[in-house]
Amino acid sequence: MSSVESAVRPPVAKIKKRTLKQRLHASGYKWAPYLFISPFFAIFTVFGLFPLLFSLFLSFHYWEPAAGLSAMEWVGIENYTFALTDDWFQTSVYNTLWLALAAGIPQHVIAIPLAYFLHTSFKRSRNTVIGMYFMPFITSTVAISLVFTTLFSRDFGMINMLFTSAGNWTIGDIQPLAWLFPTENIDWNRPEYTKTMIAFVVFWRFVGWNTVLYLSAMQTIPKDLYEAATVDGAKRWQQFWYITVPMLKPMMFFAVTLTIIGNLQLFEEPFIITGGTGGLEQAGKTAAMHMYITAFVEGDFGTASAISWILFALIAFLTWGNNKLLGEKK
Amino acid sequence: MFNKKKLGTVALALGTTLALTATSAWAKTTLTVASFPSFDLAVQSAIPLYKKINPDVEIKLVSLAYGDHHNAMTTALATGGNLPDVMGIEYGYIGRFASSGGLEDLRAAPYSAEQYEKLFSKFTVPLATGGSGTLAAIPADIGPGALFFREDIFTKAGVTEEDLIKDWDSFIAAGKKIKETTGSYLVASAVDIKDVVIRSGLKDGEGIYFDAEGNITVNNDRFKEAFRLAKAVREAGIDAQVGAWSSEWTEGLRRGTIASQMMGAWLGGHLANWIAPESKGLWRSAALPGGTYASWGGSFYAIPKKAKNKAEAWEFIKFMTMDKEMQIAAFRDLDAFPALVEAQNDDFINQPIPYLGGQVARVEWKNSADRIPAMDVHKHDPVAEQIINDALEGVLERDENIDAALAEAEKQIKRRARR
Amino acid sequence: MNKLTKSHLIAYFIVGMGSIIMLAPFYFMFIFASHTNSSILSVPPPMWFGGEFINNVGILLDALPYFWHNIGLSFYVALITTILNLFFCSLAGYAFALFEFKGRNVMFILIMGTMLLPPFLGMIPTALIMSKLEWMNQPRALYIPMACGAMGIFMMRQFISSAIPKELIEAARMDGCNEFAIYWRVVVPLITPAFGTLGLITFIGQWNNFMGPLVVMNDMKMFTVPLALRALQGTGQVPWGAICAGAAIAVVPLMILFVMTSRKLIDGLTAGAVKG
Repeated sequence: MSSVESAVRPPVAKIKKRTLKQRLHASGYKWAPYLFISPFFAIFTVFGLFPLLFSLFLSFHYWEPAAGLSAMEWVGIENYTFALTDDWFQTSVYNTLWLALAAGIPQHVIAIPLAYFLHTSFKRSRNTVIGMYFMPFITSTVAISLVFTTLFSRDFGMINMLFTSAGNWTIGDIQPLAWLFPTENIDWNRPEYTKTMIAFVVFWRFVGWNTVLYLSAMQTIPKDLYEAATVDGAKRWQQFWYITVPMLKPMMFFAVTLTIIGNLQLFEEPFIITGGTGGLEQAGKTAAMHMYITAFVEGDFGTASAISWILFALIAFLTWGNNKLLGEKK
Repeated sequence: MFNKKKLGTVALALGTTLALTATSAWAKTTLTVASFPSFDLAVQSAIPLYKKINPDVEIKLVSLAYGDHHNAMTTALATGGNLPDVMGIEYGYIGRFASSGGLEDLRAAPYSAEQYEKLFSKFTVPLATGGSGTLAAIPADIGPGALFFREDIFTKAGVTEEDLIKDWDSFIAAGKKIKETTGSYLVASAVDIKDVVIRSGLKDGEGIYFDAEGNITVNNDRFKEAFRLAKAVREAGIDAQVGAWSSEWTEGLRRGTIASQMMGAWLGGHLANWIAPESKGLWRSAALPGGTYASWGGSFYAIPKKAKNKAEAWEFIKFMTMDKEMQIAAFRDLDAFPALVEAQNDDFINQPIPYLGGQVARVEWKNSADRIPAMDVHKHDPVAEQIINDALEGVLERDENIDAALAEAEKQIKRRARR
Repeated sequence: MNKLTKSHLIAYFIVGMGSIIMLAPFYFMFIFASHTNSSILSVPPPMWFGGEFINNVGILLDALPYFWHNIGLSFYVALITTILNLFFCSLAGYAFALFEFKGRNVMFILIMGTMLLPPFLGMIPTALIMSKLEWMNQPRALYIPMACGAMGIFMMRQFISSAIPKELIEAARMDGCNEFAIYWRVVVPLITPAFGTLGLITFIGQWNNFMGPLVVMNDMKMFTVPLALRALQGTGQVPWGAICAGAAIAVVPLMILFVMTSRKLIDGLTAGAVKG
């Protein structure tokens, strides 16, 4: 560097100076990107990579953590075979997939038309409406899950009150809504309802987020496409189906990827709602919770690490599948 | 790349209340005590008293929610960082922590706690012993089981305490009568019945789910009877089907839609303080049905091997657990039944309890505490408990065969307790 | 197109109902925050504000004596995390969007791959590192590991590649700007809308972070807000009114922040923010 600087002397001709500068910048162009991305790798090495390697190491050991670091015992792949053949783990994976679909699909099925509608039919009030739908996303999961546990309370919950009053609504002698709504309070903590309750909370939290993502993508669709379609006599839903949806594909890929990753790692909502237990018969226990319980309740960090690596493989596989399905081919 | 001074200004701008520097160094010793609610209240009220005796020791209480506290302690023991000097441990975790080897053996020098062991209720000390004869913790309080019931509801239904505790058939018959005449449920959940019965008839050294040799004991008559009775209670329609500590449960007890509850004697304190303070004088305490003596919970103090101030920690633990006045204070204020026999024998236990209509219930609890067998705890107890609860759920809700459910549960426990 | 059609009305109605569902839990959170436990647990539950808010805050402060400190700490940690993220992620995003360099794709895929890593993989090892560094109970234990997220890099790359033409960078380079100056003088001013989006998301994420502090913060004074609220769930006696009061206090700053920024945020998105 200093040699270059010393070369830049006043008497040197202007033309030569320029080329030197260019050369300097050419080298800057080379090292700059590496420097710019280095913070990520520096942080990741210390706080990401080391924990990863440690947990990989751990997944081949039996370790009772309360005994300290010296108490590890090599067990080979036993943790993996145990986890894979364990019906508790299988149940938790089933729950996770169930929740991922039940909470994930409606998010997108509702967010896309909603975004379209907001995009086309709302002018001044648009931001306010988006704000309302986005509000759940900005709240603390812990705080709002606690609020939801009161709303879902069997005897004192608002949700049961609404449902049963709809179910018991009578005209004359008939209850016209009894087929759709319950007539008695639902115990949401029963195994058959736990997942529904959790899925609703997750859906509620993320539908607005997805709406905003789709809305932002819709802004980038050129207006003349719609104008041309209108000239050609295309109806609104046709425009939606043949222009908006295909143009949204890249964003769908992004949003669905985020949903897959987020839902498969689902932890906080079921953790708070089921009080950390996973609920009766583990109906609300996700794979991430199973990992946590294996580690901290059963004290088996080796198996817990193995579970997290299996889970990682599963998430990677599904993300890859999504990539094949929705991803752009470059 | 990032200016520290700038960070400082930002912090200042946020308000001077943010003390971001580490707590300033004291010339005195700071003793860190980690605990959980409501066990932490005992420490909180002890701090001013302890300071009078030991002005050089500053006590810092760190309290987390029950589950979070024990997880944090697991992490702390694993990493050796962030360890407190004194660790509060609850019954449910004592088996795991005691056998982990991460805690000081209090039988060894300089503690030599063996001499103090006879000071405590005989059943508590074995809970805190790990393998190879080490003592990992000192008991602070215990939870002798009792049956709390609403006398007014019983009178209205024409049911007596005797009906309730004679045997289980009579218990169920009384429940039906109460349901018919008053509409109240006798118990919160059929699961409670199971919990009592599996604790009954244990011999010294036996655990609930594992025997002294670590064999699984869930597929035996004790569990079959427990499941059968739980099912009978559910079929009789005398349980409210609510889980303990839920909002429905506390409100049920408050409003008298749940007429009785079997739990540790400390439930009396919870009832009086916040669950149902309005029903003062209406509740009574009785022995558990069928001549069962069981314990619910209990708390311990331990010293981690890597703690910094072990000598001070030991002094503090002795103060909390072996000082009669402290133990009685916790008994009086928090209804934490003392583990210290001397405190149990104090005249204090003869005082009537106004909330229980002037009943001298503490004497009964003490009698019960004397008869509780020295149960063994196993590090896989929490896992076994969950498996058994799930099995019972299948029996109660889906009418599964009891023998098959228990055989399956045994297999499950065997699988999970593989190490 | 201009006239209100029947299907339009139906759609407005559905959107309106939807917003009610979205906001109802907040409404009840505020309502419950102003009622005693026993009136929350009654049939029917309260539907309008009561007079117990101050009492509930009192209960809250009894149980969590450092609650205001917890709020301040949460704010401080979230703010620092946000600043660090905006800087590091936009730098990295800029590199990935507008530079050609060896290993670019591999490194990008690697970074994205870290998003797939489940939480808790690193819980114990993270605790190990933090105690070795003596960062336990230090705010930096929360913001340093979160200072540069994969998601932020992705967003920034997407935004920069769509919003900044390569020619602009080339021109700046021709004019003799050095690489950092190009970033600082050319790129940063053009990506403020994305800063808004990423900043808000980062701030919210860190404000609400629960598992991170759970491992490294064990001093009640150094709890962040979610940890503090969770501590109320303790054993048995759940003071719902106080929990809702605490939750409301924890949510309101975010609401204000959101209301203040939402216009800009959504207008920023209008400019064509995250393009997939």
